[in-house]
Amino acid sequence: MSGRRSRSRQSSGTSRISEDQINELIIKLQQLLPELRDSRRSDKVSAARVLQETCNYIRNLHREVDDLSERLSELLANTDTAQAALIRSLLTQ
Amino acid sequence: MESVSPVSNQLLQPTTSSSSDRSRRKRKKKSPPSVPSSPSPSASLQKWRSEKQQQIYSTKLVRALRELRISQPSSSSSSIPGGGRAVREVADRALAVAARGKTLWSRAILSKAVKLKFRKQKRQRISNPATSPAITGSIRSKKQRATVMRLKAKGLPAVQRKVKTLSRLVPGCRKQTLPVVLEETTDYIAAMEMQIRTMTAILSAVSSQPPPPPPPGHEGGQTHMLG
Repeated sequence: MSGRRSRSRQSSGTSRISEDQINELIIKLQQLLPELRDSRRSDKVSAARVLQETCNYIRNLHREVDDLSERLSELLANTDTAQAALIRSLLTQ
Repeated sequence: MESVSPVSNQLLQPTTSSSSDRSRRKRKKKSPPSVPSSPSPSASLQKWRSEKQQQIYSTKLVRALRELRISQPSSSSSSIPGGGRAVREVADRALAVAARGKTLWSRAILSKAVKLKFRKQKRQRISNPATSPAITGSIRSKKQRATVMRLKAKGLPAVQRKVKTLSRLVPGCRKQTLPVVLEETTDYIAAMEMQIRTMTAILSAVSSQPPPPPPPGHEGGQTHMLG
């Protein structure tokens, strides 16, 4: 599975996209997922599994970002100390 | 402090960033990103994993947060749930800007923000002051005509369903073809990982107490090595 097919075919939107390309993308996606990357077997994990894990992972990431945002906002809500600490941390560290 | 050089993913330029970010670089003893072997997709992933990009993003984010902070009056009656949402949107917008407009999801995030502002002002001018949750609801409740599957190859209904769900999760990908969705997903995941790293770093830098460790299954490409 070396090299990519031309991208122009992809952007045309027709169903001419090769399965190889899709599989390549799915493999690449699989390598991003922490769970599936470490337990990579020689044969490919099924596409459905990869997609499922991807959905779960993205939801997890969303949740983490929301959580971090909450904490950041709480921090920012504590007026002067937070802002001073922010500025200080940027300038001195 | 403004020294945003173009993000060249392969070259990690040494010290053009401001002094404030140098600390973060020093503290992050990150090894060079381990990346799949294929050339062009790994370029974007490397970009999101590079220190340089993280510094750029964190600078943007801090600046945006500071402005956000100023807009909130320093009274104790600040709405925290609203505040968290605002911070999330600010972070997402900064992330989208950091993507330099090359990806669908980043453009979708930015256009969402613009639409929101536009509609909000319009309605306020016309009649009653519309609350943003209402507008967000109306924008989000658009019919999901996901014409994702135009391919004969992956015609399995299970795969189709999952791809549809996935396309709903990634912003801007609802009506895209399968390879587009997959590609956007990879970039989006890498970007979000960087976002989480950055926000965690900011939190620990400001609050001087380490945030709780991330849930398991997340120790993928990054290591929270701060304290």
